[in-house]
Amino acid sequence: MTDQVALSVADIEVLARLAALPLPAGRPEAIREPLSVWVQDANELSRKMSRPEYWHLVPATVFQHPVV
Amino acid sequence: MNRAQSELTELSLAQAGELIANRILSPVELVEACLARAEAVNPTINAFIEIYHDQARAVARAAETQIQAGHWLGPLHGIPLGLKDNIGLRGQITTAGSKVMGDWVPSRDATVAGHLRRHGAIFLGKTNMHEFAWGGTSDNPHFGPVRNPWDPERFPAGSSGGSGAAVAARACTAAVGTDTGGSVRLPSAVNGIVGLRPTLGRVSNFGVVPLAWSMDTVGPMARTVEDCALLFNAMAGHDPNDGGSLLQVVPDYTGDLQRGVKGLRIGVVPRYFFHHLQPPVHDAVKAALGTFEGLGAQVVEVDIENIHGNISAQLTIESTEPSAYHQQWLRERPQDYGEDVRTQLEMGEMLLATHYIQAQRYRTLLRREFMEAFKSVDVFICPTLPFTATRVGEMKVIIENGEEEDMLSAIMQFTGVPSLTGLPSLNVPCSYDQDGLPVGMQIIGRPFDETTLFRMGAAFQAATDFHQRAPKP
Repeated sequence: MTDQVALSVADIEVLARLAALPLPAGRPEAIREPLSVWVQDANELSRKMSRPEYWHLVPATVFQHPVV
Repeated sequence: MNRAQSELTELSLAQAGELIANRILSPVELVEACLARAEAVNPTINAFIEIYHDQARAVARAAETQIQAGHWLGPLHGIPLGLKDNIGLRGQITTAGSKVMGDWVPSRDATVAGHLRRHGAIFLGKTNMHEFAWGGTSDNPHFGPVRNPWDPERFPAGSSGGSGAAVAARACTAAVGTDTGGSVRLPSAVNGIVGLRPTLGRVSNFGVVPLAWSMDTVGPMARTVEDCALLFNAMAGHDPNDGGSLLQVVPDYTGDLQRGVKGLRIGVVPRYFFHHLQPPVHDAVKAALGTFEGLGAQVVEVDIENIHGNISAQLTIESTEPSAYHQQWLRERPQDYGEDVRTQLEMGEMLLATHYIQAQRYRTLLRREFMEAFKSVDVFICPTLPFTATRVGEMKVIIENGEEEDMLSAIMQFTGVPSLTGLPSLNVPCSYDQDGLPVGMQIIGRPFDETTLFRMGAAFQAATDFHQRAPKP
């Protein structure tokens, strides 16, 4: 099941405040719709990767120490 | 441009290099021919941000003197190249296609530029690109859009659109681009040329303006596979200045070009590779697989269980990492960004850390599935992108059923897979659509096995002539 994400202008303003990112008028509206799609898809991927069969997977950015 | 000059610009890098080595052709003649061609086409295709007329001529004269004195540096000596303008050159303005970096003059060459310089290559100029490489159209708000030489009403893709267009238009013998989510492969496909995204860590990123640190690469772009291999010989190698650069022996990438493909196993994932395509793309790649089978390769159906989901992971990583790099500028001078890049950078600040970590865990999963599949196949072949060149300025694309889709996610349907997994991949032109627009196929290989990619591409080009066609002058 995919949870629909419909971010509001107020949601964007909160996110921008968290990031200390000043957003002039009009910018939250410009971001709202495409970000909603990105967040929806990212949430779906997050749900998938939280499944027990994937608990053992580490992020691809973990150090792989060469043999010294 | 006179007839003799047009013959010179038709030479491949390998052909020109051999003529120069044998002192039949002077670098001065070749550079003059390319400069004339660049001047003739650039008002239409806008492939170059800056052309180094005086410097290229001076270096060509120096190269001529060296070669006549017996000091020949190799197949790149005297060859005019285009360099994407996010690759730093000592003493030259490097804009990254932006207003924000518009007056940056690096104090040293990017490592890859230094390698090419030491092999005697001549930089003809800096090629236009999508602003900060953060997009796939090369529709640049500060320097104007790049246009496709096959149809100037069409886009050249991106972000290395200028390099792709310049090579296709014969304005330089070859070029260098950068590829994070597809930015060498996509313009190579829609401009009908060959372009390589190398194994992550194979080529140094030092001195290149970053887009996404965990996915950035630098790759060659040329009209033939052989030319790409010759360029790549000079570009590949470890660099202690680049923390992501890997210690791995650099082979001679031209070594297997004549070896053929008999016995090689080509993996395809039918439920992903051949769905959601414009019909000419579908038919072209299917025909290319038939060509490879005729040459003795074997096509093997494989399933990559978790291949769906790669676009979201790609977008999450490719948006959050640039947003981190651009944090200060985005706060100090947001108005100096183009609208699309500014929007994407703002969006990248608003995805969660957990989104990013889960995307990086997905990369581990996808890579494991591909590495398991490489036990039974040698390469994968799929389309490079699901459509042919759209009109300049369009941000939506129709692939099937008349439905409009967002350009950014549609364009990386296939290129995201090597970007996420770190695998090398090569675009090879494989057909043209009903409007004469190029179609490209993507050959994906094992880590550090660019040699096999070049081997496959060379065999295809020996059996076909798609790479020999040229846009109308």
